Amino acid sequence: MPKEKQKKKRGSLGERRKKFSWLVPLASINLTLTLLSLSMILIFVATLEQVRIGIRGALAEYFESMFGIWYYPEQFWGGEFLNAIPIPIPGGYLLGGLLIVNLTAAYITRFQWTGKKMGIQLIHLGIIMLLVGQLATQAMQEESRMQINKGDSSNYIERFHGVELAFSDVTDPATEKVVTIPQQILEDGGTIRTSDLPFKIKIKHFGVNCDFTVTPEGSKRSGLVRDVNRGVGQTANLSVSLKDEDFSSEGLNFGYLVFELFDGTNSLGTWLSIAHPGGNHWWKESPKLSDFAFQPIRHQGKLWGVTLRSEREYLPYSIELLDVENEFYQGTEIPFNFESDVVLNMEGKQSRRALVYMNTPLRHDGKTFYQYQMNAAANYTVFQVIRNPSWLIPYIACVLVSIGLLWQFSFHLIRFLRKNSSSAQPA
Amino acid sequence: MNEKSSKKSVKGKIVLWLLILLGVYFAFLPNRFASSSVLDFAKGEPEAPTDSFDLEGFSRIPVLRGGRVKPIDSVARNTLLVLRNKRTALDDAGNKIPAINWFAEVLFNPDAGDRLKSFLIDHDQVLGLLGKKLSVDGKFFSYQDLEPHLSEIDSTAREAGKVEQEKRDSFDQNIIELYRSVLLYRKIKTTLSPPDPQLAPEMAKQLQVAEVLFDPENDKDLTAEFARFRELTAELSSRPGDIRMESADFAKVVFFLDHYSRMNLWSEFFAIPPESDDPKKQWRTIGESLVGKEPLDSQEKQKMDPSRFAITLQQLVSMKPEALKVKIRDIRENQKMDPTALFASQYAEAIKLRREVDPVLGLYENLKASYANDDFSTFNSTVAELRKVGTERAGEDASTLEFEKIYNGFEPFYRSSIAYVLIFLIAGVSWLAATYSTTLGRKGDTARLLRNAAYILTAIVLLSHTFGLAGRMYIEGRPPVTNLYSSALFIGWGAVLLCFFTEKYLRLGVASAMGSLVGFGSLVIAHNLSLDSSLNPTGDTMEMMRAVLDSNFWLATHVVIITIGYSTTFLAGFLGIAYVCHKFVLSLFGGSAKYGSKLMRSEKDAQRILGAMIYGITCFSLFFSLVGTVLGGIWADQSWGRFWGWDAKENGALLIVIWNAILLHARWSGIARIRGISSIAIFGNVVTAWSWFGTNMLGVGLHSYGFMDKAFNPLMYFILSQMIFIGMAYLPSFRSKPVVEASA
Repeated sequence: MPKEKQKKKRGSLGERRKKFSWLVPLASINLTLTLLSLSMILIFVATLEQVRIGIRGALAEYFESMFGIWYYPEQFWGGEFLNAIPIPIPGGYLLGGLLIVNLTAAYITRFQWTGKKMGIQLIHLGIIMLLVGQLATQAMQEESRMQINKGDSSNYIERFHGVELAFSDVTDPATEKVVTIPQQILEDGGTIRTSDLPFKIKIKHFGVNCDFTVTPEGSKRSGLVRDVNRGVGQTANLSVSLKDEDFSSEGLNFGYLVFELFDGTNSLGTWLSIAHPGGNHWWKESPKLSDFAFQPIRHQGKLWGVTLRSEREYLPYSIELLDVENEFYQGTEIPFNFESDVVLNMEGKQSRRALVYMNTPLRHDGKTFYQYQMNAAANYTVFQVIRNPSWLIPYIACVLVSIGLLWQFSFHLIRFLRKNSSSAQPA
Repeated sequence: MNEKSSKKSVKGKIVLWLLILLGVYFAFLPNRFASSSVLDFAKGEPEAPTDSFDLEGFSRIPVLRGGRVKPIDSVARNTLLVLRNKRTALDDAGNKIPAINWFAEVLFNPDAGDRLKSFLIDHDQVLGLLGKKLSVDGKFFSYQDLEPHLSEIDSTAREAGKVEQEKRDSFDQNIIELYRSVLLYRKIKTTLSPPDPQLAPEMAKQLQVAEVLFDPENDKDLTAEFARFRELTAELSSRPGDIRMESADFAKVVFFLDHYSRMNLWSEFFAIPPESDDPKKQWRTIGESLVGKEPLDSQEKQKMDPSRFAITLQQLVSMKPEALKVKIRDIRENQKMDPTALFASQYAEAIKLRREVDPVLGLYENLKASYANDDFSTFNSTVAELRKVGTERAGEDASTLEFEKIYNGFEPFYRSSIAYVLIFLIAGVSWLAATYSTTLGRKGDTARLLRNAAYILTAIVLLSHTFGLAGRMYIEGRPPVTNLYSSALFIGWGAVLLCFFTEKYLRLGVASAMGSLVGFGSLVIAHNLSLDSSLNPTGDTMEMMRAVLDSNFWLATHVVIITIGYSTTFLAGFLGIAYVCHKFVLSLFGGSAKYGSKLMRSEKDAQRILGAMIYGITCFSLFFSLVGTVLGGIWADQSWGRFWGWDAKENGALLIVIWNAILLHARWSGIARIRGISSIAIFGNVVTAWSWFGTNMLGVGLHSYGFMDKAFNPLMYFILSQMIFIGMAYLPSFRSKPVVEASA
């Protein structure tokens, strides 16, 4: 490498190397190559594992961790024997973090800060930004959905994953009061007291996924729901069995909660509540279970409704669905357009109309609404709602990388062409 | 002496020109590999013959299939491609029947069509099911051969269909494919010849429909029946009061409405062009032209409320036509969940609004009759009439029809693939010649001549390959890469183009040879992709794009750039293979032989140059794959709301980027020299093949629309072969040679 020779010209690199001599080993290109090779393995393994545990599972196990444990798939060649050996795979946070360190160190102690090498600097700066941006995104991004029926409007979004227990006081519809208990607290279990509620809640069983069936009348329920004596769980005679969380992208997770309410030491009864993964309004489709969206409790002259539902976030604005359109190419089942015609009623009195369709989301107040699902026959649409404060970083990074690449390769190409056109046509 | 060399150069020129001519012949001129040539584009359409059927003209009639208006020729070819994996059928004697002749027979003379061998069955167990043997009966069968076994095929395929897709074995897949093929054939057959209602005579009497039904004795063709049906509906619409369940006239109309609606199920393509006042440009099948399209699946009819249906229909029919149109639109918009209202709207449209039989129906009936009677002049004039009406009513959509028909026959990719073989052979011979002259210490004029020939031929083939891509772009109105098939075409094209420029500066024959190898390979892959029934169920490689992909901007940027990235990575890998082979051959013959030292000297050059080429091309790869991947991220951010989602295909692209980065960093740091670089480049082939095909096989993620599992074994063989090449680079015999490893 010709760096040493050019030291005299500017000296800055040499000085930096001295000043940050402790960084030199971290900047080693061998380390870069090792990290890159390990990330090849990580990405390959995590892609294979998506078949088994789904994208979300692979994310949690490999990309959003320091290391993951991989078992050679049993159905592959030699799988019967190799399957037993746990193989540690360095995780995304580990490799990503180390790459950032390695690149930054190289930036300081190996790169020449000259115009001729500016391309290299820009490329690596862009790559650092991409890595940092991805780490930030995975830490901050929130994915939710919003379902609207034609003619209606909606002012809240629901998380795809994660549930909450909601009590709403509907005694006077004008002053509806809602108290929610987030999943984290439900997971901890125990007894929950809050001054907002006139009763204590004892968490008996909670899980993120379950199987439930309506058992024939008269037969005894057992296991988790043995104690349930109030609400839908009792009237529909539901039996519930445990199920692991399904991480695949199409996976449906029915969160369940068995809880007992107390007024002082006086038990009011034990309820079962199940959250529908598509949003609790879907319970309406099954008549026997429709009350899961709202199980009434009368207590001290007040009417409360309780439900376990997808975690909600209320928005200071609302979206109204005017129309949905779903068009197919003639004579085929290939869709060529999904489109929702909406009105956005903003915080003030303003409102604006918007068309949401493929590749054209609606952006408002740091959130982006994408066309996600729709059912033109049933006249509803579902938006995927994403809040990602770091969405701009990749765009900047891309610009940096592209400029850098163009800069560097045009240098090389011109030199290559010059050299070879002068010595072209070798015998 | 002087005379001798000039004589030699004249001889050389003749050889050069002959080779070039051969290339032009393969790539553009009429030959036995394709049914039309570059001349046909210039000449235009031949005059219609008077003593035979004008099938040229027939093949240009516009129809709609797979969402796209295309000439009948394309439908015929694509259907045969699905049924027989070829663009021809066979007759009893084993003669090839061109697609359009086959199609005419199947449509208009089904008895003869059923005897043509149109089906490919090459799975021994499926053959066994039909009681056939590959060695005795061959692998091509006619519909007549299959007819006695239809119920077996049907029930076995149903059984196989119950097995989960991942768990189906090759028998299951083949029987399902055969079932689909038979279904496709039958639908084609009945598209223009609707099946008759199969009514028992007593039933016909009871319904009093016998006088309306087609009577082969007295009626000229089916249009007579259609006209009588129209009379019925006209009468009924003037007496809306008769629309009740007990009315005999109403029962008659309902009978025909159901019958014609059922015909829609048995149509494979849409033959009736849009009506002139239709803003949506809706093409129709014969049934739809008569009674409109069913708003829901026929099975939903069972959910109707009969009495409300009659009342609604009566109300609708008594409305004024204009008001009725508005009302029908309103029902379809706002009562989507109400089968009763929806079907009533279809029936009302059929009774009140569809007053005339479309003349195109009559034209197709004419075509059928004149074909059966060998009446050339009527057939030919009807063809002309149909084309005129069709193109007029299709408007803009039919503008590329003429071109597509000739393009189909030109087979640019088949021609190119043959010419690529020629180039590879010439380049290979040029190396032999170079080695021969080096060992004898001569100048090597022959080698230079052959290299030049390979270079010029590359330019010529590139033209026909480019023409093939441009033709697709023109017909589709899309950027070059729209699906897996076209990505293969484009990967080959990109690699050859890059090789052409490399060869311009480094006239060694290496780039020509490797370019033609990648070009040929990718065209073969493309051909096999077009035969894959799961990827390409209609046989048309120019299918429509799903909504999320329907963005010419992103297709033109992200998809094209990432595909160039694939293409250059493959090219670098193949140059790595060239290095390994070169070295292997030299180490076999060089070392101890008399001419060894001379050969070894040339090896140093080769190493230097190949090393430089791999490096340069990998720079391109990194650039394109990185930019393409990042653009993909931006597209994903636009349409799915996240820049990066660790989707299988995204990860595959990222692997290519990282691998290219590893190669370049290994070279810059001096860790890998020419042998290491070549090995890394060869492994790049594995990484790219994984990203291109392997990720689709997982069947997970958002990009899995190109799902295919037949490619699994070829992919494994490819990976194995690449590993062998890498192994060869590290053969110990290489090291023991007294050659200093040249630094790259």
